[in-house]
Amino acid sequence: MATNSKFERLNASRDYIADNYQATLSLSGIAKCSYMSPYHFLRVFKDTYGETPNEFLIRLRVEKAKKMLITENLSVSEICAKVGYISLGSFSSLFLKQVGMAPTLYRRKLWALSTEEYRFPSQAIPACYAHHFLGKLAN
Amino acid sequence: MITSIAHATIYVLNQDEALDFYKNKLGFEVGDDMKVEGGFRWLTVYPKSKSQLQLVLAEPKEGPMFTKDSAEKIRSLIEEGAFGAGVFETENCQKTYEELVAKGVEFIQPPTEQLYGVEAMGIDNSGNWFSLVQR
Repeated sequence: MATNSKFERLNASRDYIADNYQATLSLSGIAKCSYMSPYHFLRVFKDTYGETPNEFLIRLRVEKAKKMLITENLSVSEICAKVGYISLGSFSSLFLKQVGMAPTLYRRKLWALSTEEYRFPSQAIPACYAHHFLGKLAN
Repeated sequence: MITSIAHATIYVLNQDEALDFYKNKLGFEVGDDMKVEGGFRWLTVYPKSKSQLQLVLAEPKEGPMFTKDSAEKIRSLIEEGAFGAGVFETENCQKTYEELVAKGVEFIQPPTEQLYGVEAMGIDNSGNWFSLVQR
């Protein structure tokens, strides 16, 4: 674990990634927020958070995309661009790797399960919570 | 074999206000903030760390598990400080305590030497107690 001041500097970079996830980011640009060399930054970031800055960025983008796919009526291409990817192919394969299904299938599957438009189905949250708050048990 | 804890619930009085507190005062990140069918909001936060544990910020409302009366009782108990949110760890309790106090976080005990480390005790903006521990 990083010391307190190093942790604060790392958090500045992490916040920078989170605030600019739609943009094209470079490792050197992100590392500058922590006043570290790219190599050192990469190592300390991974040690501290358990994932590389790029893994964190991909996770954020995929999470944002998942939300948009369900709650907004945008095309997959539009969502791809909104979360910072230029290539639909790259976005789709990253999404598939992270979520286990392609973006279009994810949308189709969850929309079919939900009883309300542009809302996640209860199956998208842990069953104990769905049961507790919505009275729904998995089929 | 159980390998980790993924989610734990903190009952809060208002999800928007709790989100502001956990994100902007305690410095947590938002895990999920999803609108689920049935009007339920699935809201989770977690500390910026390797921790896999996400805290579910949930409002006790009338529904399948709570009658209106039960939900109101739970809300009263939260406000009375009957519930604890758990233990948050820090590398430097004194420094983090000072930073959180400067942000307006209420503490009922300043950093104090305990058998297991240095500990301060705070309250979230709903009334849940939490410990801030340096081991």
